[in-house]
Amino acid sequence: MDFDFSDDQEQLRDAVRKWVDKGYDFERRRKTVAAGGFDRSAYNELAELGLAGLYISEDAGGMGMGPVEGMVVMEELGRGIVLEPLTQTLIAGGVLSGYAGDALKAQWLPKIASGEALVVLAYQERKARYKLDICEAKSTQSGAGWSLTATKNMVPAGDQADAFIVPATVDGKIALFLVERGAAGVATRGYGTQDGARAADLQLTNAPASLITTDGLVALEHAIDIGIAAACAEAVGVMDKTVAITAEYMNTRKQFGVAISSFQALRHRMADVKMQLELARSMSYYASLKLNAPADERRCAMARAKYQLGTSMRFVGQQAVQLHGGIGVTDEYIVSHYFRKLTQLEMTFGDTLHHLGEVSARMQDTAGVFA
Amino acid sequence: MDLAFTPEEQKFREDIRAWVKDNLPADISHKVHNALRLSRDDMQRWGKILGKKGWLGHGWPTQFGGPGWNAVQKHLFEEECALAGAPRVVPFGPVMVAPVIMAFGNAEQQQRFLPGIASGEGWWSQGYSEPGSGSDLASLKTRAERRGDKYIVNGQKAWTTLGQYGEWIFCLVRTSSEGKPQTGISFLLIDMKSPGVTVRPVRLLDGECEVNEVFFDNVEVPAENLIGEENKGWTYAKHLLSHERTNIADVNRAKRELERLKRIAKTEGVWDDTRFRDEIAKLDVEVVALEMLVLRVLSAEKTGKNSLDIAGLLKIRGSEIQQRYSELMMLAAGPYSLPLIQEAMEAGWQGDAAAGALGGFPGGVVANAPLASTYFNMRKTTIYGGSNEVQRTIVSQVVLG
Repeated sequence: MDFDFSDDQEQLRDAVRKWVDKGYDFERRRKTVAAGGFDRSAYNELAELGLAGLYISEDAGGMGMGPVEGMVVMEELGRGIVLEPLTQTLIAGGVLSGYAGDALKAQWLPKIASGEALVVLAYQERKARYKLDICEAKSTQSGAGWSLTATKNMVPAGDQADAFIVPATVDGKIALFLVERGAAGVATRGYGTQDGARAADLQLTNAPASLITTDGLVALEHAIDIGIAAACAEAVGVMDKTVAITAEYMNTRKQFGVAISSFQALRHRMADVKMQLELARSMSYYASLKLNAPADERRCAMARAKYQLGTSMRFVGQQAVQLHGGIGVTDEYIVSHYFRKLTQLEMTFGDTLHHLGEVSARMQDTAGVFA
Repeated sequence: MDLAFTPEEQKFREDIRAWVKDNLPADISHKVHNALRLSRDDMQRWGKILGKKGWLGHGWPTQFGGPGWNAVQKHLFEEECALAGAPRVVPFGPVMVAPVIMAFGNAEQQQRFLPGIASGEGWWSQGYSEPGSGSDLASLKTRAERRGDKYIVNGQKAWTTLGQYGEWIFCLVRTSSEGKPQTGISFLLIDMKSPGVTVRPVRLLDGECEVNEVFFDNVEVPAENLIGEENKGWTYAKHLLSHERTNIADVNRAKRELERLKRIAKTEGVWDDTRFRDEIAKLDVEVVALEMLVLRVLSAEKTGKNSLDIAGLLKIRGSEIQQRYSELMMLAAGPYSLPLIQEAMEAGWQGDAAAGALGGFPGGVVANAPLASTYFNMRKTTIYGGSNEVQRTIVSQVVLG
């Protein structure tokens, strides 16, 4: 039982933090938001740091690292509310490494690791909400390959990505496919999202696809769990910075002739915010440390973690705005951007109520971290 | 970073578990698992069993006869005791006054008092709070006036837990009214059999007498019972409060009680009610999060890092969780938590067997008898040990300066 980070992990954290502080300031981010919410050159800079290959083995050109390194990186990106979707890259690296055949791995993993290819998960369907086993997308075998017909929504950076990981059914059973954006029968419509980033609807009409695995639901659940652990870590970074911004504001803003941080009602609210932050950090650790556990244990852990993180994100985000007062609801001031990011993260990979249901359905007679 | 305990820690846990299994009397663990009334004898019997093994002062360093365990080992010991249904160690002797005597008492005092605390023979009480001094403890008024080789003590202490059984009481007393209130306080050990000491039990909202008022009327206390220097008592008391930070979260007991809540929910039929079960599910996550918080503090203590900024959260969260599980247990039993039948909280109560269905506990499940009582009792947890509002003020200093 040990929660210290290794020297290598601390160095990784420093490197990412340095890039966020120096290379990704609020002005650059603002320009990216105005330009549509995705900046390929910023994504390439993340890849140059090696982050795109975090979950890809060294012989495939990646760094071969694990969930704790993923957590460290995502915390730092969260601190800077970075728009480019590295979570998707962690998912793609993890899922292709874990479930794809050798040819597909050889074709895609080095390109993902280098940043040459951005591969994102396209799974959201209208009727599924947060459920993973509801899938209307269909695939049929055509000669040596497959073709897919599907409509997917809210695909991160969907009109900028190079390829998609897409669940679709084969004879009623979910399988996982890889579809290239440039292929025939692929259409996208991009739009901005509430957090300032970018997503797209994806329409596939008999689009050619490569099969990743016929064990699609297992792989999709794993993909989502990689996403949940990353989102939890990212949220901790976002909240950490939100709390720091709010504390600084409270110590500067004066009303009735004194700093508003001197008022007990506000101080106690801040104590509650700190509580939610630390519970969230604890459960983010828990999520990352359980990411390689057997599937049942892993799924239960992610549900617990995302429930806590969702609860914390909503409270910390709302209270940060409230503690700022009027300036908190402006677009010009930074805290509203953090609030919007937290709101979007809460509803990504299953919201708080969804995961409460998951915890409730999976609950055992035992209790605690080791149960 | 690793969630798993080391093989050595795991072995330690298994050894403790085996020992507790062999040595914890079944009648006592039955009472603890069902929240039945514990007698003085129950508490002291377990204390003496631990004392004989050298584990009553399980946080003590080896030089005073303790096992010299580190923070993780202490946690594992407490966890195994809690999960097995051992009563909480009555903390006033081994956990509260002993470390002060070790750190600030003289050799004579250490030889005189520590063996009786370590063995579980002596029963200690805590004399801190007063009717007018709760959160503002430093305003305390109980006076000790030096006369020759004695102190004459006058005043009143309040909320003295289990003081009706106490043989000795460690008190904060005012020895000076000069300067700041904190600088005129001394730490005095008082024999509760001394003439002029009166103990009055206070009945609480759960019907039990858990706390007492203790009156001092010209009580003569030998000056040799003063710990450390006169007017330095506040420093010693603060030293005491800085210890046992993770213990106050009581997460091990919360795990045991959450499992009990799940059993009660099944018996009472609310486990299959989604609306109710979701409330248990929330608590399930809250307990995991609290345990992770505790483990983070322990990990930091093990490697000697500063964990102060999160340790303050443990008391707040731990007490809220204790209140919540007791509340949900009561709500699970619903109307069957409401009959107030004091005898049913004694182990082995069967009611009137001859009266058939009308002779037992209403509804037939005697385990429901203490649920409301426990709920009422648990209101204390957000008040004692520094109220949660005082704790929030402390936490806010970490964030806002």
